[in-house]
Amino acid sequence: MVATRDESEMTTTTTTIAAENAHVDPPPRNNGARVAYWLIAPGVVWMGLFLVLPMLMIVYVSFWTQTTFKIEPILTTKSWVTFFASDTYLGALGTTVRIWLTVLATTLLVGYPSALFVGLFVKNKTIQTVLLTLCVIPFWTSFLIRVLAWRPMLGKEGAINLILMKFGIITQPIEALLFSDLSVVIGMTQIYCVFMVGPIAFMLARIDPNIIEAARDLGAGFWRIFRTIILPLSMPGVVVGAIFVSVMVLGEFATSAALSGRKVNLLGNIIVTQVGSLKWAFAAVAGVILTIVIGAVVAGLLRIVDLRNEL
Amino acid sequence: MQPLLTLNGIERRYGDVAALDGVSFSVAPGAYVALLGPSGSGKTTLLRVIAGFEQPDAGHVVFDGRRIRDIPTHRRGIGIVFQNFALFPHLTVEKNVSFGLLNRESETNMDRRAIDAKVRDMIALVGLKGLESRDMHQISGGQRQRVALARTLVTEPRLVLLDEPLGALDANLRARMRDELRSLHDRLGVTFLHVTGSEAEALAMGDTIIVLDRGRIAQVDLAESIYNHPASPQVARLLNCYNLFEGAVEGREFVSSVGRFPLDGARAPGRPGKASAYAIRHDRIAVRPVDRPISPDEAGLAATFVASEYSGSSVLSFFATAGGQVIEVEDHLSLREPPNYAQKQGYALAWEPRDALVFA
Repeated sequence: MVATRDESEMTTTTTTIAAENAHVDPPPRNNGARVAYWLIAPGVVWMGLFLVLPMLMIVYVSFWTQTTFKIEPILTTKSWVTFFASDTYLGALGTTVRIWLTVLATTLLVGYPSALFVGLFVKNKTIQTVLLTLCVIPFWTSFLIRVLAWRPMLGKEGAINLILMKFGIITQPIEALLFSDLSVVIGMTQIYCVFMVGPIAFMLARIDPNIIEAARDLGAGFWRIFRTIILPLSMPGVVVGAIFVSVMVLGEFATSAALSGRKVNLLGNIIVTQVGSLKWAFAAVAGVILTIVIGAVVAGLLRIVDLRNEL
Repeated sequence: MQPLLTLNGIERRYGDVAALDGVSFSVAPGAYVALLGPSGSGKTTLLRVIAGFEQPDAGHVVFDGRRIRDIPTHRRGIGIVFQNFALFPHLTVEKNVSFGLLNRESETNMDRRAIDAKVRDMIALVGLKGLESRDMHQISGGQRQRVALARTLVTEPRLVLLDEPLGALDANLRARMRDELRSLHDRLGVTFLHVTGSEAEALAMGDTIIVLDRGRIAQVDLAESIYNHPASPQVARLLNCYNLFEGAVEGREFVSSVGRFPLDGARAPGRPGKASAYAIRHDRIAVRPVDRPISPDEAGLAATFVASEYSGSSVLSFFATAGGQVIEVEDHLSLREPPNYAQKQGYALAWEPRDALVFA
């Protein structure tokens, strides 16, 4: 399609030039552009077969008829109606959004100052790299271990409660620490914070130190410089970090399953349960809704900053 | 008149390396001072110490009658124009220029309309009218230079530090910006300290020239005096218009590896026996065929023509001595015919002994 249009344009140009300088040889045909399209062919085929097609399939399957034991390709909106009529499922959607917003806020709260330190106050590039690598070290252990390790920390007889009781700060163990929204938020913040720190630190490290010195020289104090120069220039990093964290948190199910004692049900948990009981149509509905939510969040975040200017 | 800025024995070390090694000078209010130094001479460090980005290890800076060691950069009232301009990339031309007035900590009692009017005037003054809402990537290098100047000048600093302000511009634009800088200085009556590595720029711009060499002041003088009477071989080399020979004074002659030069009439002849340097300006050398030898009352040497470089108003020719030292000869085309030397041909290079400089 694109190639055809290019070719017709090229033909037009060629004709014009040929008409103006009839004695000049026509310019050599530019085959480079068409050859270049072959570079993306494997990617397009792969993504088409294994991403676009399955996604269309999921949308299709969400309209199939689900009975207890089997699923038939007879179109119906029954699964969709059930989803929106059920408090459990709408509740899961609400919980997903709530946990996502909370984790987004906590990762930003913990991540931005860390990124500010690494990206702006550490001048030595080597130390910067070392510090960012330190952030990644938790990823050398498996995801499941990282999540489950919170249990002996947060549990009723876990490390935190024991220490607080030992020092006499509390007399009864705090039960809300584990198997609650809080434990899920703590666990997710720890896992996803690095995805916030990385992009922000990268953007901050790219700021020319002379720019900050120039602002100082023009009479601005630190907070003014932060608000007018540093924060705006780091926004692309915040947006990229927020996209990373959002996409991962919205699709989460393992952390909430392991740390909430099944009390916190995210859309991801619904999908896992439905697939487990072979309710494919229903899982497809939840999947489509989750995809739409993630798409809307990413689109919304991209509106904050024009990333094209930054690349 | 009390100087606006005085530096007293400023030292700044990075590890074992002394970037500034006891720098002292003062700048009179309203002056245009050019600070000339080769790269690595400590120019930028000196500016950073004056602006307050770095603290000297020893010595003190007195600005407007006060020691300013404990005054942070943003309260010093000294403007700096960075070599790379350091414009705020996310702000428009207008917002860049108004930044200082809107965000400075001191004197925030200006109302918005007064600020807008001032910013408008400054933008007009530097010739950026009509570009107010442009982004930094939508303007040219010369326009960026003007934004950087306007941004600093609009805050009315008593002293403006310019760190190689023309280095990032192409030659054509550099010449035009020289004039504009000069006229801005004269119109606003602000004191300028202009740092540069280019001898031509320093000579053209500065009322006074301070020559910095390896962290020390090599000479402070008026432009003309520096050009005609460099105080040391280092300054002469930096001016890029002298041929330098190393050697020693013996009796009435200067003995160097390329020959013996009579000293009769030479300025500032060094003391006999001591190692010293001998300098002769590029445009004081006459080139003659070998068959017209150097007379006893002349100084000179024999050399082979290598190549020449045409620069419009003059031609710079390069000759090599038998020992391989390159001698540069400049012919001003308004005074002499364009030279036509033959490749690899030997010539006699001669000059008047009184045109030479001998350094102790």
